[in-house]
Amino acid sequence: MAIPPRTLSGSVKPRVRGIKALLTHHTFRRISQLGFAAFIAFLVIQHVVVGEESGIVTPSAEAFCPFGGLETLYKYITSGGSFVAHTHLSNVVLLVAVLVVALLLRSAFCGWICPLGFTQDMVSSFSKFLQKRIPPLRRGINSLKKRGARLAVLDRYLRYVKYLVLAWAVGGAAYFGYMVFRDYDPWSAVINIAEFSWTPGAIILIVTLVASIFVERPWCRYACPLGAASGLLGKLSPIYLKREQSACTNCKICTKACPVGLNVHTATTIRNADCMTCLECVGSCPRNGALEVKIGLPIVGK
Amino acid sequence: MRINPFIYGALVLVLFFGVILGFQSAGIWSVSGKTDSSGRAVNPSATDVSTIKGWMTLEQIATAYNVPLADLLKQFNLPADTAPSTAVSKLENDTFSVTNLRTWLQSRMQPTDATPPAAPSPAPVATAAPVAVTPAAPTASTAATGSGSDRTINARTTFQNLYDWGVSKETVQKILGGDAPLLPSAVIKDYVTGRGLEFSTIKTQLQAEVDKIK
Repeated sequence: MAIPPRTLSGSVKPRVRGIKALLTHHTFRRISQLGFAAFIAFLVIQHVVVGEESGIVTPSAEAFCPFGGLETLYKYITSGGSFVAHTHLSNVVLLVAVLVVALLLRSAFCGWICPLGFTQDMVSSFSKFLQKRIPPLRRGINSLKKRGARLAVLDRYLRYVKYLVLAWAVGGAAYFGYMVFRDYDPWSAVINIAEFSWTPGAIILIVTLVASIFVERPWCRYACPLGAASGLLGKLSPIYLKREQSACTNCKICTKACPVGLNVHTATTIRNADCMTCLECVGSCPRNGALEVKIGLPIVGK
Repeated sequence: MRINPFIYGALVLVLFFGVILGFQSAGIWSVSGKTDSSGRAVNPSATDVSTIKGWMTLEQIATAYNVPLADLLKQFNLPADTAPSTAVSKLENDTFSVTNLRTWLQSRMQPTDATPPAAPSPAPVATAAPVAVTPAAPTASTAATGSGSDRTINARTTFQNLYDWGVSKETVQKILGGDAPLLPSAVIKDYVTGRGLEFSTIKTQLQAEVDKIK
């Protein structure tokens, strides 16, 4: 007896062309990321050009790092208001802002704001751009990816490394009274680029950018301590992604679009701590109602 | 309930900026040790020399403690044409440091009828000429590595630099009061200030050890 074809509940999204094709949340997200990256670039340049000797206070870009807030939090609380070196009250305030966003809207900071994430996104996008236009490069990278697929089993375990980094960075700063992670932090290497030196952080930054050619968001997936903290808190958020099985064709476009490599097409609700709610999966889904952002009860969803 | 992705993005930005603006409007915000939470410049207290920081300018010090700038420069054999806007830390050398400056200013604040304490006179110099001021700003490479060819300890020098220059771990521990960081990559200034110690004092002692090895 022939199995009747499954009836899909959602309709196909209409194809949009021209300027309207740019009016998507993807463009909105890129503008947001670009704005924050430009602000940090401005601070870095201003700090170098104006310097510290003038009467004008030119804040270091380090004063705008939320993770600095997490590193200094213990000292700030226990000492009654003093900070570990290179941090200020702004770091604590930004940390609170990131954590409030995580608590209510999941790890949206990583997907919509973080300039280091944006830098990785840009390298990955440029890599894809080149691969489209240079077939031998595409074949070479695909060949490397196929060989590297054997290591995919490690992916699951490597994702826990960021929690270890989080514990080391926060615990180390609390215990020693200075930022033990600073020399290993690729973001610190970026914002102190004017004083470039071959710190472990600079090497990690280069490795991250090279890895971004092959894997999207490698730092965020495996090592980012701020993403780890934000992701854990985001588990309590009422926001989640819902895949409607009756409308889904299992085309896997959503999974391919996910920058952190989550298997979106097999899940019914996406509440993974690694999800940074960039909504690339939602935007790429070809069917209406198959994948949506939902608000429900914290933890359980629905 | 479904949320439009555009609305979601807008909510993220509104919430993020909302929290920051909330703190700012409550006066809980500062991006530099040079300003307080309300954005006012931090100046040294005229009655407490411990409030003097390395980033403060000669002008700030001269104004706060009512000391003629020329007297200050002369006391520490600094060039008479030193700009008043120069930060104290940029002028540090063998005879001038934040600590020396504090001690001298403290001695000036003593009542005149009391026995005046000996003001810290600068270390004798070979010539009558003023002591050469260290370069106003270290070069990019020395600032970055803390390992310039002259082996001068600065704000970015790490303990590893010291060990590389031949200073033993035991000597460092002795200077730090029996303590040393587990990670040699730690920046000396960060470590020392994190422990509540005076960087300029420790720096002077460590520099003396480095100079012995030269």
